Amino acid sequence: MVWVGNREIAWCPGCGNFPIRTALESVLKELPVPPQKIVLTSGIGQAAKMPHYLDTNFFNGLHGRALPLAVGIKIARPDLTVIAVSGDGCNYGEGGNHFIHTIRKNLDLTILTHDNKVYALTKGQSAPTTDRGTMNNLDPQGNENRPFNPLAAAIVMGAPFVARGSAGDPDHLKEVLKEAILFKGTAVVDIFQPCVTFNHINTYQWYKDRVYRLGKPLPDRYEALKTAEIWGERIPIGVIFRDEGVMPRQSDRIIFREPPEDKALGAMLSQQHFK
Amino acid sequence: MELNLLIGGEAGQGLASFENTLVDILSKLRFRFFATKNYMSRVRGGHNYHMFRISENPVHALSGDGWDIVVALDRESEQRHKPDLKKGGLFISLEMTEELNKQAREKYGRITAANEILSGVVLSAMGCGDGDIARIEGDSLDPVRTGFSLANKWDVADRYPLSTRAGNHYRLDGNQALAIGALLGGCQFMAGYPMTPSTSIMVYFAAAALELTVHFEQAEDEIAALNMALGASYAGLRSMVATSGGGFALMQEAVSLSGMTETPVVIIVGQRPGPSTGLPTRTEQADLNFVLHAGHGEFPRIVFAPGSPAEAVLLARKSFELADRFQIPVFILSDQYFADSQQIIEEPLDTGIIAREYNVYGSDYRRYAITENGVSPVTYPGLGDALVRVDSDEHDESGSITEDLNLRVRMVDKRLAKFRGIRDEAIAPTPMGEADADVFLVCWGSNGPIVKEAVERLGGEGIRVGGLHFGQVFPLTPGMIDRYGLHRRKVVAVENNATGQFASLLKRELDITVSGRILKYDGTCFTVNELCNEMRTYFRKV
Repeated sequence: MVWVGNREIAWCPGCGNFPIRTALESVLKELPVPPQKIVLTSGIGQAAKMPHYLDTNFFNGLHGRALPLAVGIKIARPDLTVIAVSGDGCNYGEGGNHFIHTIRKNLDLTILTHDNKVYALTKGQSAPTTDRGTMNNLDPQGNENRPFNPLAAAIVMGAPFVARGSAGDPDHLKEVLKEAILFKGTAVVDIFQPCVTFNHINTYQWYKDRVYRLGKPLPDRYEALKTAEIWGERIPIGVIFRDEGVMPRQSDRIIFREPPEDKALGAMLSQQHFK
Repeated sequence: MELNLLIGGEAGQGLASFENTLVDILSKLRFRFFATKNYMSRVRGGHNYHMFRISENPVHALSGDGWDIVVALDRESEQRHKPDLKKGGLFISLEMTEELNKQAREKYGRITAANEILSGVVLSAMGCGDGDIARIEGDSLDPVRTGFSLANKWDVADRYPLSTRAGNHYRLDGNQALAIGALLGGCQFMAGYPMTPSTSIMVYFAAAALELTVHFEQAEDEIAALNMALGASYAGLRSMVATSGGGFALMQEAVSLSGMTETPVVIIVGQRPGPSTGLPTRTEQADLNFVLHAGHGEFPRIVFAPGSPAEAVLLARKSFELADRFQIPVFILSDQYFADSQQIIEEPLDTGIIAREYNVYGSDYRRYAITENGVSPVTYPGLGDALVRVDSDEHDESGSITEDLNLRVRMVDKRLAKFRGIRDEAIAPTPMGEADADVFLVCWGSNGPIVKEAVERLGGEGIRVGGLHFGQVFPLTPGMIDRYGLHRRKVVAVENNATGQFASLLKRELDITVSGRILKYDGTCFTVNELCNEMRTYFRKV
């Protein structure tokens, strides 16, 4: 059993989720908002247990559905800082449709995805981000599907903030997470998360040999898209695209604790009232 | 005295605009009416027809006794509906409507004036003259007068004189009633994916959001819609979704999520014939079992099925109060017939918005604190020092994931304990007809007003029959029906489905065995006449 503080953690010893948790915990503490004003949403999977190991509000929902929960919360309560955090199966597989459409809404929320390129909780099947040819119990002859590129997809869908972090570079990850959460608009961050039990290819060392930090984010979407597609011997991490020019859709209209007035509703009803 | 009118034609020929024009004029002149429609799932062409019953008495159903006026905008309408014209009724042929269209174009320069001219023909048949139409304003007035002259020409003027009218009233279709009830219940958030017959609830709510502090969000699918509603509810807004069978199928997992996380939500299911896509624009009541059993696992729920717009306003309003009080999903079963029927409400409506409380707790707050009645104190993120932690996994009192199996049992017991309070709140069915009759008709949802009129009509013929309309279909408690002694009587279930789902529920929940089932599942509603004939047959057999 692994413990952090007084909490028993359900992750394997050495799991890439630990450095992500530490980075996120320190970012949340540095935010200019109290934990009561932060809500994490998550789906199902090992990554989706993250909210249980942090001191904030959370709604740990269904597999694939962290994003529509986040949308509902953010629209209801623009005053809250809303962060959806789940794994690649949750956000890109089961919830792939929500990934596309949540980005389209451009609400001021953050989408974090722990990307370990494997379905670990079900013991080792292909994820949407698994490389072609990878063999496992459901792909005994090797995965035939092209991997999903979440960052390229996010850029194409018009996400104004697109970044990648790596559990193997926690200091850098922390900076990326902080920038993403503070960004006004939908921020998408894919996080390399080595799975020490079921992924023996994309290990800490594998990433260490390939990953390099990007400098300033690229202001041009098409240049950013090219960067998002770099894969192989060299893999960039950091903020790939950042567009300050897009205002989030969120209006300032507060409706929480502001129920409609009887008079306003009465005026509406009068259209159906015949005297 | 009453006037039954049918107008038929292709989609795109302006049937819906005619309905809107006529009901608007009828409402302004305070006539009592009931209007419904039968339409195909297409944008143009096909065969659609709209039906109107205009009466001196309150009417909330189709009589089924034939038509006094049939208007055919195409040959198919003539073939299909002219045979149902009553003896001495007026048939307005395709050629006659072309004459009407010609006048609209030539006199008024707009084809839409034809709706007003035709409304004038109908008004004249109802006995209206120049003195009666002062409340009709603007450009419509003269075309209505033109309709009067046509009625004279066609010899239909004053044929169905309606002398009494309604007082102050509301005019609503079923979906408007549900949306208004939701607003009165304090609902501030709705998410949805358009689906017949529930789309117009969303349209109404989206329009309301322009004037009121409420929000409508169009979701990418029904899965997202219900999850968004649960997110908004968790964050502190009373929330709802509306859909039909297929969309509701996609919501299943989130229904269960509502049950597990004890997040209140109201779910409107407007039924249409299934299985699968079925008959997308027709009516049925075949999703009762589906809604009763929706969502995996065991958790408490309430299912309402209003029969009239007034009851829809009342029950929708109540749904939000109960969803909140017990922290559960509450369902409202409607159907296409109910959704698309426009009628007037003469009884007073409670139009005050339900107020709610926002409690503040300290840092020792536990979202799932175990209480005797199963209801834990609730608060929302950002109020006070409390953290609100909710989980779809089995959880402990603080909302943390657990696999402690003893705690699991206590949490199941806590959630199910809410059923006691829910059962105490059960809304009794509405009685109809003779309270001490040997035969009782039972119905639920949109069949209520049809059964009521059938029971009254049979009573007028000396056939003694009672009836009960269930606006609450689950849970069913002995207290709801004990005064009617149903176990001693012959009970006949009237349902728009092929298997008698409510009859089976009565047996399961209250051990009532029905002696007859009157079922209809051709995609259309019952008419009063049809139901009376079924009952006369039943009595001949008994």
